[in-house]
Amino acid sequence: MPTPESGLAIRELTARAGSFIVGPVTLDVAAGRVLVILGPSGSGKTTLLTAIAGLRASLAGHVHLAGHDVTRWPPESRRIGMVFQDGALFPHLTVRENIQFGPRAAGLENVATADDLLGRLGITQLADRAPRTLSGGERQRVALARALAIRPRLLLLDEPLSALDQPTREEMRGQLRQLLAQQAIPAIHVTHDRDEALTLADDLAIIASGTIRQVGTADYVATHPVDPVAAKLLGWTELGPGLHQDKHIRTGDLTLPAPEPATGTGPVQLYYRPEDVLLHHADAPISGDSITARIRQMDMTLPLARVILDSTPALHVLALHRDIRQHALQPGAQVKAILPPHAIRIFSGEIARTSSGYDSADV
Amino acid sequence: MSGPGAALPIPPARDLPAATASSRTGRWPSGPFQVIAWLLGGLLLAFIVLPLIRLAATSSVSSLRQAAASAQIRDATLLSLQDAAITAGIATLFAVPLAYVLARHRFPGRGTIQALVDLPLAVPHTVAGIALLFLLGRTGWIGGPAGRIGISFYGSQWGIVAAMLFVSCPFAVNSARVAFEAIDPRLEQAARSLGATPWHAFRRVTLPLGLRGVLTGAVLVYARSISEFGAVVIIAYYPATAPVEIYNLFLQSGLTQSASAAVVLLIVTLATFLVLRTLASGRLLSRIDRAYT
Repeated sequence: MPTPESGLAIRELTARAGSFIVGPVTLDVAAGRVLVILGPSGSGKTTLLTAIAGLRASLAGHVHLAGHDVTRWPPESRRIGMVFQDGALFPHLTVRENIQFGPRAAGLENVATADDLLGRLGITQLADRAPRTLSGGERQRVALARALAIRPRLLLLDEPLSALDQPTREEMRGQLRQLLAQQAIPAIHVTHDRDEALTLADDLAIIASGTIRQVGTADYVATHPVDPVAAKLLGWTELGPGLHQDKHIRTGDLTLPAPEPATGTGPVQLYYRPEDVLLHHADAPISGDSITARIRQMDMTLPLARVILDSTPALHVLALHRDIRQHALQPGAQVKAILPPHAIRIFSGEIARTSSGYDSADV
Repeated sequence: MSGPGAALPIPPARDLPAATASSRTGRWPSGPFQVIAWLLGGLLLAFIVLPLIRLAATSSVSSLRQAAASAQIRDATLLSLQDAAITAGIATLFAVPLAYVLARHRFPGRGTIQALVDLPLAVPHTVAGIALLFLLGRTGWIGGPAGRIGISFYGSQWGIVAAMLFVSCPFAVNSARVAFEAIDPRLEQAARSLGATPWHAFRRVTLPLGLRGVLTGAVLVYARSISEFGAVVIIAYYPATAPVEIYNLFLQSGLTQSASAAVVLLIVTLATFLVLRTLASGRLLSRIDRAYT
């Protein structure tokens, strides 16, 4: 666990946006690590970032940055680089002037920094352009360079890729990941995009309705959501209510293996990962639990095709196009589906809490 | 399921309906709605321009020369120009901070303050003059103490500027406020996060971006001030500004004599207004932007 002396430590931070309250939030981000906060629109992501940056007064709690309690510091004293959703570039300044703005304002003037950053981000040719002439991707690169120009102690990224078209977003994701990996500072990136979150995150936090629901290493959180909200955000699909009976769960006509280490009995909400469901020919020799059903519908979406089985409840499967061709799957065909235990999560009426992947969960 | 290569039935291509005349934007009106819009707008423009043309047509070149050569009219016109410019400067200086607060902050009483700002627009100008006289006169709340340090508003340039300021300041506040409201607040947030103090963020980001609105407000204040009569005539009948002098001429010499002076004032005010408006509309604004940044 990072300590307040290295990186960012947020303790019980509470902020308000109108009548909406965010927090109390407790989070740690070590220097060199990227924490992605994943949450739906209106969940309080931006409010939390602006409170950390000091752009919004916090109601309670503390923000420790590089060993200092900066809670009462004005934003200009915190040296927190922030990248906004559409860049928020100064429209009356050129790209170079935008990048030089921070160092000049903060008394860190160094013209070489601007040119160096332009070069590192591959946008040297844009130096004298006006922001209104830039594409969305170019704007975000400039915004990133501008935030880095002040040699920040912390980098905050407020959905910087959400306004970009799909190809640009994917290209920027890669570049951003590389750039963040080179920084020896903590970074917080907020997004509602699951793929973006999992691409960039070392650590992942789930936020909904102003509260952090779960935080931990990205791999662990992605595979161990602690409640239905986190599960949905992470791409788990709801299968409906079920009955947990020791090592099995019954839902509709289906009997599924219960995930480890869950044991017990009682009603549960059932979620599963449709991309982890395995499909086989009906006559394939399968040992263990499997579901035999006909294919009701196939949507040839990319990159994975969606296969809907005529089971009760209907099981959705995300399958590789290669597998569909290999098994000659088509609507009406009888198949065997295997839903492995690791692809199932169950939530009882009382929210299930699992280990976060850290030694102690800061939620 | 159809195979990947199966051709989907495509409806036969049809010509898309041509854009209707009313949906096109062009130089000249087409379609009944645009014709009616132009007609009504044209009538309003005619109502503005015709009295001025009729006024100008009344005066001969010689009478205009005579009016322009009159020291009385010249002094009154210069006084109006000078005091309107001073008023524009003062109004801008005080209006910009208020406009910024109104644009950026939501607080209890904001609506009331906005209504107070607009109040001079609803108060008859003679009433404004009388109210100002009570405040700034020799025994007024401000006029009394000011008189003791040698400042008199009654019958002085101070009074003229005060009257002009009262009736015209809403233009400065509202124009700047609208300009500031149009600026994305995240630009200031970005500036603050980059190390700028609130003043630095305002001076380097908000003010340059809102400068057009601020200057437009100043020009409107100037235009409103130079034409002010009702409030000025009550608080400062003398020294006479141009509108007061024209009124005097009208009372003393009649319509024809005052018309020449009115045309002289009209030419001067229109010329200065057009120059200032052109400047504020952006022709030289980019240079000012650079000076700020």
